[in-house]
Amino acid sequence: MAAVAKRTSGRLRRRRGIVAWAFMLPLVVVNVLVILGPSVATIYYSFTEWSGLGPSEFTGLENYREILSDGDFYAAMWHNILWTAIFLTAPIFMGLLGAFLLSQITRFQMFFRIAYFIPYVVASVVNAALWQNILDPSRGIGSALASVGIPFLDGVSFFGSERLALPSVAFVNNWAWWGFVVLLFLTALQSVDTQLYDAAKVDGAGRWQQFLNVTLPGIRPTFVFVVLLSIINSLLVFDYVYIITRGGPAGASEVVGTLLYKEAFERFEAGYAAAMALGLSFVSGLIVLGFIFLRRRGWEI
Amino acid sequence: MGRDSISRRQFIHRGGAVVLGAGLSSMWLAGCGGGSDSGGGQVTYWSNLEGAGPQDYFGKNIVKPFEKSNKDTQLKVTFQPPDEMDRLVRTALQGGEGPDIVMTPGPAYAQEYIDANLFAELDDYAGEYGWDDKLLGWALDLGRVDGSLSAIPYQLQTMLLYYNKTLFEDKGMQPPKNRDELEAMAEELSGQGITPFAAGIGDDPAAIEWFPTVFWNHYSGPEALYGALSGETKFADPIFVGAIELFKTYVNNGWFGGSTERFFSNGYDAYHVDFGDGKAAMNVEGSWFMASAADYFGPAANNDNDWDWVPLPPLREGVPPELYELALGSTLSVSQRSENPDGAAAFVDYLVADKARVTEWMAAVPSAFNAPLPFQGGDFPSSMDPRVERQLVSLSQATSEGNFGYANWSFFPAKSTVYIQEESQKVLTGDTTAAEFCSGLDEVFKEDRKEGLVPKIIKPAGA
Repeated sequence: MAAVAKRTSGRLRRRRGIVAWAFMLPLVVVNVLVILGPSVATIYYSFTEWSGLGPSEFTGLENYREILSDGDFYAAMWHNILWTAIFLTAPIFMGLLGAFLLSQITRFQMFFRIAYFIPYVVASVVNAALWQNILDPSRGIGSALASVGIPFLDGVSFFGSERLALPSVAFVNNWAWWGFVVLLFLTALQSVDTQLYDAAKVDGAGRWQQFLNVTLPGIRPTFVFVVLLSIINSLLVFDYVYIITRGGPAGASEVVGTLLYKEAFERFEAGYAAAMALGLSFVSGLIVLGFIFLRRRGWEI
Repeated sequence: MGRDSISRRQFIHRGGAVVLGAGLSSMWLAGCGGGSDSGGGQVTYWSNLEGAGPQDYFGKNIVKPFEKSNKDTQLKVTFQPPDEMDRLVRTALQGGEGPDIVMTPGPAYAQEYIDANLFAELDDYAGEYGWDDKLLGWALDLGRVDGSLSAIPYQLQTMLLYYNKTLFEDKGMQPPKNRDELEAMAEELSGQGITPFAAGIGDDPAAIEWFPTVFWNHYSGPEALYGALSGETKFADPIFVGAIELFKTYVNNGWFGGSTERFFSNGYDAYHVDFGDGKAAMNVEGSWFMASAADYFGPAANNDNDWDWVPLPPLREGVPPELYELALGSTLSVSQRSENPDGAAAFVDYLVADKARVTEWMAAVPSAFNAPLPFQGGDFPSSMDPRVERQLVSLSQATSEGNFGYANWSFFPAKSTVYIQEESQKVLTGDTTAAEFCSGLDEVFKEDRKEGLVPKIIKPAGA
């Protein structure tokens, strides 16, 4: 009797396993075709000289050696680091502040939530075109302000200046991004136990102390998630830079994403671009590993 | 080589107004002949035409008449953004797909596809359709690799000096005929608060290549360029360095676009509006500008101004006074994987080889259908803008008389072209010197040459 029950239980387990795999199979197939396949191909091509057309020639580590002595790659990577620094500060600060202020109001909260979120769902091409017009040195906000007696932005070429191009593009991207950060933080804030605020008030904590000692610890997992997302997005940034400046002027806003695009599709160096992409993925992977390491060390991430 | 609002690869803008007038006559013309023994079945073609007007024109006046006279062939035309065309074609062909008729951005790009054995040889079709007798020899030669024809150069272009005719008449000025006149005029216009040259690469930084093209041809001269392109001399020679230094000086003076920063940020529409409104006096641009000039001058632009063009003046003694850069906006090839190569070749022939038909289309949509044909005055219908006609005849005559130069995007290999697009910006910002830039180009060009990627070069007069 026990043996029959054991056999039945074993069959059930196998059947459940088969059913589970049957449900997962479509996703596995999609992942193999869309992610694993191209990833393996990218790794292979990174060891070849390949124009992107026709056959490739295996060259071993030559592409990687070339990257190590490529000044353009280092310059682009430096711009990615600057970009990361911008996105780890401005949108997170603005997101926290916006979410905190929104959590304090009840009237018009939905209106502001929608208003902040709209740029995030608008296509990057549209956002970019909008800001290109607003920041145009001849017809944009600078000349409009000058016409009413505020001349300090008159003629400033935000996207044409080597000094301003990268932060200006980052500003446009931030404009689209920070509303999403607000919503993430707002959702996290709403899950913080209100009794904790009451207890803090009883202990005599002011607004700032409540924020530091109740809010921040309460939203830490979301905070760390936003930080991780910001770093990875900053390393992979492409669209706004490509649309607005294409890496110019004179490479002043070039990031690794736009550089490898040019290598692959303009210089016909698809193998080299694959190596560059893997280098970027390697850096992203290191950062994710760093977070996993911290989590294992007891951080609440 | 993405370039591209109104770049040379996006020159086919907003042609609707011009298109309407020419539609009927062209349909009638297209109905006369053009039939062939093309293979039956579908032929796919990806076109770089932009704008509803030109695209409608293409469907009504080219596709339909072709299908009418080639009853077994159905054309399936897809309009792709010019900026993205090369990337889309490359991805599609690499994946075993793509159109039957493949358009590339120029001979240097076509060569990459030919090396990868992705294009069919067209020599038999050249014999069948008589292309050697009909098309310009130098253009056909650019599509030949190792003696075999695989690409038909298309959309002929050149660089010109456009000027705001109304502004010039108001100021009692004449277009400059040499460097002294040009610089004196630029000083005077700047002093009056008028930007001498409308310019900017904000929409497409790669468009900076127009300027090294112009300065190398009109300062260094076509003979020097021929020497460097054929490997006899180096781009590091002072004659090329001097040309780039002059370009830098003009930009840093604010003569191009108003200031160096504005040169980098001005978009096509913005600087063309300034040109049309008379805030800028001249414009150094390719012949493709004629396709959209009506948008910036006259009633459509709410001004009473008019435009005209002259050849770019020589910037050094010894350079021919009337010199036209040879440039191609694209090439046409038949995919090696095409299941209907006969039908594809028939449509290529239909697009490029019949002068009467092509001139009708050229009159309707300026610059879009410039086939490599030997044109003369009188070849064009009366509906054609005389300024466009003069340019086409001048360019055509230049190839027979030898007063031509070389555009970067047609005669330099892809890596050298990208180097020029990227690194010449650094000269303007002072991050590198003209000499360093030219030495770097030497290195890149040497590599391209070693790999056999330099398109065939034809000799100018005197070389």
